[in-house]
Amino acid sequence: MPRSHPLSVRTAVAAALALQVAAAPSTPPAAPARAGPAARTVELTLTAAPARLALRDGGDTTDVWAYDGRVPGPTLDLREGDRVVVHFRNRLPEASTIHWHGLTLPFVADGSPFHPVPPGGSHDYVFTVPRGTAGTYWYHPHPDHRTGAQVARGLYGAIVVRAPDDPLPASLPEHVLVLSDNRFRPGGAIDIADPASPAGRVDAENGREGDVVFVSGRVMPALAIRSGEVQRWRIVNASAARVYRLALEGHRLLHVGSDGGLFARGVERGELTLGVGERAEVLVRGTGAPGTRALLRALPYDRYIPQTRPADWATPRDLLALRYDDGPPVAPPALPEVLRPVAPLDTGRVAARRVMVLTQHLINGKHMDMARVDVRARLGTTEIWEVENLVGMDHPFHLHGFRFQVLDRNGVPEPFPSWKDVVNVPKHETARFVVRFDGFAGKWMYHCHILDHEDHGMMGVLEVRP
Amino acid sequence: MARPHHLAAAAAVAGLASAAAAPTLGAQARPAAAVAGGGRAPSEAQLLRGRALVLNHGCGDCHGGSPDPASEGFLAGYRPDAVPSLEFRIGPCADRPDAQPCFRTRPRNLTPDNATGTGRFTERQLFNALRYGLRPGETPDVEITGTTPGQGNFPAHPKYLAPPMPWPAFRHMADQELRDIAAYLKHAVAPVRNRVPDSEGPPDFWASAYTVALIGPYPAAPFPTAREQRPTLARAVRGTGDRSAPPPRR
Ligand code: HEC
Repeated sequence: MPRSHPLSVRTAVAAALALQVAAAPSTPPAAPARAGPAARTVELTLTAAPARLALRDGGDTTDVWAYDGRVPGPTLDLREGDRVVVHFRNRLPEASTIHWHGLTLPFVADGSPFHPVPPGGSHDYVFTVPRGTAGTYWYHPHPDHRTGAQVARGLYGAIVVRAPDDPLPASLPEHVLVLSDNRFRPGGAIDIADPASPAGRVDAENGREGDVVFVSGRVMPALAIRSGEVQRWRIVNASAARVYRLALEGHRLLHVGSDGGLFARGVERGELTLGVGERAEVLVRGTGAPGTRALLRALPYDRYIPQTRPADWATPRDLLALRYDDGPPVAPPALPEVLRPVAPLDTGRVAARRVMVLTQHLINGKHMDMARVDVRARLGTTEIWEVENLVGMDHPFHLHGFRFQVLDRNGVPEPFPSWKDVVNVPKHETARFVVRFDGFAGKWMYHCHILDHEDHGMMGVLEVRP
Repeated sequence: MARPHHLAAAAAVAGLASAAAAPTLGAQARPAAAVAGGGRAPSEAQLLRGRALVLNHGCGDCHGGSPDPASEGFLAGYRPDAVPSLEFRIGPCADRPDAQPCFRTRPRNLTPDNATGTGRFTERQLFNALRYGLRPGETPDVEITGTTPGQGNFPAHPKYLAPPMPWPAFRHMADQELRDIAAYLKHAVAPVRNRVPDSEGPPDFWASAYTVALIGPYPAAPFPTAREQRPTLARAVRGTGDRSAPPPRR
């Protein structure tokens, strides 16, 4: 596939973003140890508005809600240290927000249900991307009770944060793969079930899944690769509920990073499971022969309770085709052994240990109440949260405002520290993570990232005070 | 192993496939008295009352062990290796093995283990399970004051415990009795780690199997219904022909 496709971030972003990089940086952020490029201000406008698009090649047109008329919205290509100013214009018929999933930013910039932007209204999101947070993130609306409905209509997009000292060769071709799914009525309309209908009940239970799976807005796109080449893929699970158990035919994946960026070392994987809201960075090594093809597929993954497990849950899904061109193999580039060391958070001095019990639509037996604070903490302190999933369905647990490190899953220690903001807790399992409240005071949501669960109140409020 | 009334509960829902979607449970129910969400330590007398109720209602017949609190696996839930099997088949397959739909249900671990039992549920959630049949893992921990879905904290889309859990019978126990059972289960049974595989069931979580038409109203219709009578001494003697029967109480 030609590099000018939207999947190829470097070329697409400048054109797509109406991105203005201010010539003179305003306030430079804290002096970086190894100064990269000068700090800059990235200023852009994102408009959420109804649009009519052909989402499937040759298919019907569909009424969508889109950021800047595109599904997914434009990929934001940022650098550590950037000061970011997003002028959000809400041209939707209802309140919305933009939540910058995974980024560390002030409470008013979080785009949580606490700061809705009314229809016709505007809001400026202003934040600085902290040093050390290079990684793959995403953005989507997060209004009270309506996140699922708005994302289903097309509102989501990827964010890439780059480090000045990225250890991977800049020459690796890079692709941002935003995974999403949807379902359509005959004629092309997005099929959002009446909540009272049987299908609506199943959606409420499972989270809404669609039978059409998109990779960066396209069904079964092709990516080109040269034999011997190594590509860097940043994969975002932007689906409301679908978990992707990814496997690339005939290839092993070198898993080099998760939500908050690179690991200390890559990990060889035959397959990689990406829970809802999670991201992964992988290196795809072009070990195939010229002229051949390999499919990236989502293998069956049983995250369901028996009552609502879909009949076709065990059907694998094809996501994209990796096509080797006919050119002669190139010598694989040298890859560094050590990527980005991640220092483990100190679990020695822990201010609190908390248990979060997940059941269907509930955290600690409660539905979300915006007027209630469920957890109080102090800025700068460290806590350990134990997330216990008591029921027979996976629940991806997401914390706003602060990244964390998973300590263990079901008692099995995590092999190495990495930065996460979502941890998928499989049915009947427990995950523990350590979090240090380095960032900003405010009220931060924690919730199940199955959007239907979140909208049904599987969410709580953490208040962090100075 | 199950007693006749348990089997009857299973039979009542075996016809669930044909049960039309009817409104769930009547609106006429009286609010439950406030239920303690836990906190205060229960008295020994309360625990012993709860114990007696658990034994004489045969909870152990299904939930493990037997009506003997010293028995192996008492209340620890279904185990794949237990003989006889505590797994139920609900639906037409109860009599014809290949018939569909077929739902396998398993009595859960009632010991207060955090990961696999009732340790993370409150006594109020256990009360709501026994009074309203609401699954503790899927129902908010709130006091319920009505049985009309969506009102008085009764869930808009109630998720019911799978048959043959005899909650339609158990709900007729007095508030205090249900509280005693909950207190006994939470405080006086030793935790056992035993993960019971999830019960299967229809996507409506048995709502169409637990209609008023099928399980009657709560509370029960006022006495006497057409099938009951207010006995007089004369009728009792004539009716039964049993002169040794004790005189009816007023
Ligand atoms: C005829 C068999 C049977 C009997 C007798 C029985 N149960 Fe159950 N019970 C079940 C089954 C089956 C389930 C599982 C339901 C499900 O998975 O939805 C269950 C579930 C429960 C639950 C829900 C627990 C959870 O973690 O979800 C509670 C509480 C419970 N029973 C209490 C009792 C008590 C107390 C008694 C005695 C007063 C009792 N049961 C007697 C079959 C029975």
